[in-house]
Amino acid sequence: MLKAEGISKIYPSGESMVTALEPFSHTFSPGQVTAIVGPSGSGKSTLLNLLAGFDKPTAGQVIHQTPQQTTNLTQLLEGDKARYRLENFGFVFQNYNLMSILSAQENVEFPLTLLGIPVKERLERSRAMLASVGLERRTGHFPSQLSGGEQQRVAICRALVTNANLILADEPTGNLDSKTGAGILELLLGPAREGRTVILITHDAEVAARADVRLYLRDGRLERVEQREGATV
Amino acid sequence: MQSADLVRLAFRGLTRRAVRTTLTVLGIVVAVASMVIFLSLGEGIRKVFRDELGAVGPDLQVSINGINQSGPPIANVPQSLAVQLEAKSKEYGFKSVTPVVYAVRSGGFDPAQSYLFYTYPAKQGTADIIPNAEIAQGRAMNAADEGKLVAVVGSKAAKNGNFKLGSDVRYNRRNFFKVIGILKESGGFSDSFILVPLTTMQKAQGLEGKVSVVAIKLDDPGSAKAVAERVKKDFDVEAQTQSDFLKILDRAVSVSDAIRFGISLISLIVGGLAVANTVMMGVFERTREFGTMRAIGAKPSFVRNLVLLESLILSVLGGIGGVILGYGGILIVNWYTQNLASINAAALTGRLIGFALLISLILGLLAGLLPARNAGRIAITDALGRN
Ligand SMILES: Nc1ncnc2c1ncn2[C@@H]1O[C@H](COP(=O)(O)OP(=O)(O)O)[C@@H](O)[C@H]1O
Ligand SMILES: [Mg+2]
Repeated sequence: MLKAEGISKIYPSGESMVTALEPFSHTFSPGQVTAIVGPSGSGKSTLLNLLAGFDKPTAGQVIHQTPQQTTNLTQLLEGDKARYRLENFGFVFQNYNLMSILSAQENVEFPLTLLGIPVKERLERSRAMLASVGLERRTGHFPSQLSGGEQQRVAICRALVTNANLILADEPTGNLDSKTGAGILELLLGPAREGRTVILITHDAEVAARADVRLYLRDGRLERVEQREGATV
Repeated sequence: MQSADLVRLAFRGLTRRAVRTTLTVLGIVVAVASMVIFLSLGEGIRKVFRDELGAVGPDLQVSINGINQSGPPIANVPQSLAVQLEAKSKEYGFKSVTPVVYAVRSGGFDPAQSYLFYTYPAKQGTADIIPNAEIAQGRAMNAADEGKLVAVVGSKAAKNGNFKLGSDVRYNRRNFFKVIGILKESGGFSDSFILVPLTTMQKAQGLEGKVSVVAIKLDDPGSAKAVAERVKKDFDVEAQTQSDFLKILDRAVSVSDAIRFGISLISLIVGGLAVANTVMMGVFERTREFGTMRAIGAKPSFVRNLVLLESLILSVLGGIGGVILGYGGILIVNWYTQNLASINAAALTGRLIGFALLISLILGLLAGLLPARNAGRIAITDALGRN
């Protein structure tokens, strides 16, 4: 599980300070989809950046616990943190963030390449991954040749291909029409059923409704936690 | 991550902006080529002298001040020294002792109109200090020519000056030498010589009884160093062996190497800045992509290495291209100097190729350092932007 223990973020803004996130504590459980909901500027991305280790919290810490080990992410050095993300996290962004010089297949392969997985294996795994989202005929296409929905599916493949147990998505359907977005959402709900931890930011009530847990943020403060019926924390 | 993957990724990054990449590589190609051509002249001159001196040069050159870097010595050696030396031939193991006057007639801006006069006693005919000299037309000098205005010209000199038997070779306003013989081509320096009787040249220069050097051939060329020491002590003069001369020459060429390298350094620096600029622009344009790589799990060192590698690829490709283009330039230089003086003035030696590639490697490293450092420091949150 991923535990946030009193993490906060204060940005200096000219003379004064902007509190983007007030001390936040929550435990994200495996097998659950958690939606972070709130209006623009409420601190959703700031929270996700801290959970992912993209940014250092002003205070508090992020702990990742697996049956094997407990890791304090906040204390890791930059290089070790990168390696930890590579092995344990998968990310999906609002604007896909595929690498334009790489084909769909190569984009999916990229994290496997970083992991040092042999060419043959990473070719097979990335192909199978793309096929599972219906992109078997798009493997050689470059991002510029793909639609938004297709690009996001490639990005999801890239996030899932390493079998990471933490999937973090910042407004994954934000740039897509509702029908395409619904398809993307389904792809992100799947891994939770396999026991992975899925955290997604959204300001779309319909998307939020599908989550097991909903965290409502406002002005950098956690206002309210909602559980879907039958969901366990 | 295997290094093959990193190289592939770096190439992808470069081919993204193919035109810009090509232009940058061309910049390095030109810079390295000009350096290679510049430095090949020094290498060529070293090689020519090493080859030629063995064949043509005397084993010992005796003079008052020694031969230095300032060109042919002025005739300031009393000719009587040659007589004194000759008297000791047996004792020192001299095969021949020849008083020589060198003189140059500069053709101003036209190197084809410049001549090197090599003058020695006419009775030596085609002197044995110029081996392989054979007469193609006319005749060699003989004792009867001493003091007369006659000349035997080398094949190249004949071609460049358009001299035939009976032509006049102009030395100065009052002295014209009539061509009595033309040498066969030997493929060396002597093809460019004009041979004139010693006293004729001394009169023309107004320096009767003086010579430039006394050239000595030894029975045993291996003893040159020891004999030189003895001659120096016994006669209080300078005596230089071929290897002394090569050392002086090497020092002179090294100085001019440094100057020529200094000149090419300017274009190398410009080329290096072009690489730095290209790589830096690539980093700026791909801030988001580098940020994404970092987010996914690439270490800062991965991004740094990737950028550095792009810079190295640019400069090493440029270096290889530069050596090839430089070789083309060298062929042209040699074609020209072959026509002029039967020598290859420029040479592409192994160490010059190595040096050129090393310089381009260093260039790529220096040019890539700053962009690589910047790329490694990209903050993930900034690169991904706010959404
Ligand atoms: N790098 C930054 N520097 C200064 N202020 C920031 C920075 N990033 C975010 N903020 C501020 O923090 C607050 C929360 O931002 P963010 O987490 O991006 O909101 P959300 O994702 O919910 O729209 C906003 O007021 C925003 O202006
Ligand atoms: Mg946001």
